[in-house]
Amino acid sequence: MPAADPSAIRILAEVVANCCEGGAHHRLTLRVPGWPGFAPGQFVMLSPGPVGAVPRSDPLLPRPMAVFREHADERGPCLEVLYKRSGRGTHLLAAAVAGESIALVGPLGSGFRAPSAPGAALLVAGGTGIASVFELARTLADERAVSVLLGARRAEDLMGEADFAELHVNLEIATEDGSRGTRGLVTDLLEKRLAAEPGATVYACGPTPMMQRCVEIAAAHGAACSVSLENNMACGFGVCLGCAAPRTSGGFALVCCDGPVFDGRDIVWSQLP
Amino acid sequence: MSADIDAVLEVDTRVDLAGIALRNPVLAASGTFGYGSEFAPFLDLRKIGGFVAKSLTLEPRVGNPPPRIAEAASGLLNSISLENVGVEAFIHEKLPAIPEGVVVVTSAFETEIDRYAEVCRRLTGVPRIAGIEINASCPHVKSGGIEFGQDPQVLRQLVRSVRRATTLPLLVKLSPNVTSIAEMARVCEGEGADGLSLINAVQALEVDVERRRPVLANGLGGLSGPAIRPIALRMVWQAAEAVKIPICGIGGIDSAQDAVKFLLCGASAVQVGTRNYLNPSAAQEIAEGMQAWAKGRGITRLADLVGTLEMPRR
Repeated sequence: MPAADPSAIRILAEVVANCCEGGAHHRLTLRVPGWPGFAPGQFVMLSPGPVGAVPRSDPLLPRPMAVFREHADERGPCLEVLYKRSGRGTHLLAAAVAGESIALVGPLGSGFRAPSAPGAALLVAGGTGIASVFELARTLADERAVSVLLGARRAEDLMGEADFAELHVNLEIATEDGSRGTRGLVTDLLEKRLAAEPGATVYACGPTPMMQRCVEIAAAHGAACSVSLENNMACGFGVCLGCAAPRTSGGFALVCCDGPVFDGRDIVWSQLP
Repeated sequence: MSADIDAVLEVDTRVDLAGIALRNPVLAASGTFGYGSEFAPFLDLRKIGGFVAKSLTLEPRVGNPPPRIAEAASGLLNSISLENVGVEAFIHEKLPAIPEGVVVVTSAFETEIDRYAEVCRRLTGVPRIAGIEINASCPHVKSGGIEFGQDPQVLRQLVRSVRRATTLPLLVKLSPNVTSIAEMARVCEGEGADGLSLINAVQALEVDVERRRPVLANGLGGLSGPAIRPIALRMVWQAAEAVKIPICGIGGIDSAQDAVKFLLCGASAVQVGTRNYLNPSAAQEIAEGMQAWAKGRGITRLADLVGTLEMPRR
């Protein structure tokens, strides 16, 4: 039976900064006293917008957000979240200003596991999934060759490119309209990389069709592929049972605490919502 | 001097719910609190009145396919179904993980009356279990899928059967999807239930207009959260008018003031539900908030608030 990360905390985090980075993309920096640190791929649940005098009832649910990275300033631990303003919850989140509080629960989920094979690591990310793999890229780059393949529809849909450019990784970009990097799908980049680097381990986070294709490509090359799933969740720590994903072995996994990272072969992709 | 005033204003938060002694009237609701230990990182389980564990069936059950949940206006729509570890795994694996001194109420959920009774028999006599709450919102297979709690005759048979099966304090959790909650409350009282819990989720439907399909894979779901609070307050008041057995009020409780509203309407205790997902410390914050609320108004005993709503009489 899955369980929440025992180090998880619930706290009112202080907004240090909440900046638009072009288009609908935002970078939220939160000061989180008592933050226990996180493993690459873990996430937090953020209440939609600043905490008011009474608990928010509409929109009701907190939003799961990958932890992009963490740092400490003179007043304690901080973490960064990259998000896209898309629905009511993220619009409210974008309205939070420095000094306000946002309710946070985390770190949650199981995170990525280091490759079991000695070869290169190929990280494929699209859309908001890009935020999930930054810390993985940074830590893996200390010990092995890492390629980060980022995909988006258009150049303005790419988030965090400058941060990745500062890492010791091979960075490749594909956009569907060709406005940045190679024209086409990021999965086409994966095909080429994997052909050049047999024995590499693949990690994928992004839209479901992208991840499903990554799993197929990896399987065709005999490579392991871990994926980080998204799903609706009310709690993030294994009690609402809302985030079920069908397992190849039967039954359901909970994305929040069995994952969000899974071996791509363990998920029945055709039955994901 | 100030210490003396504090002592004078100490609030007695203890309540007796159907023979279950609670240190305060705030429990966590079944299905929103897992098997208890999931919340250990976020609150002190000994600072809340207790919790009702996720409903148990005889055998472990797998739930519905996704999507299982959807956000609604001030509410949460869910269709998880019967997913649980089963009564034996609860007794042998989950219960021992709960710290001593925590009041544990179990919940039974089945598709046939005999099976409900068997779940109750297995739970009876197990140390640490303070009582049983019967979840009467399960579809009754033999009645063509109508909820047990929607038909007074079926509800009567169910309560009679589970009452014979256990000596533990017995609460019946009522479905709100009925014409007369008072009638259902009287049926339970007449068959020897020790108390009532209400309300369960309100049957609901949300639609994806582009796909012309329900948003939940199962079609219908149960609506919970603050959206249903006024419905719950109305039903608790009506049930309290109808019966003498104690009531545990449930439905969209987000704050200490919300909990007090239920006491005023006649509930002896309350259960915090959906808010546990959003704020896993909520039950403790609400319990402490009720004490502070009472203290600030010179109220020395929370139980004195029960049923003191001044409803205009026609």
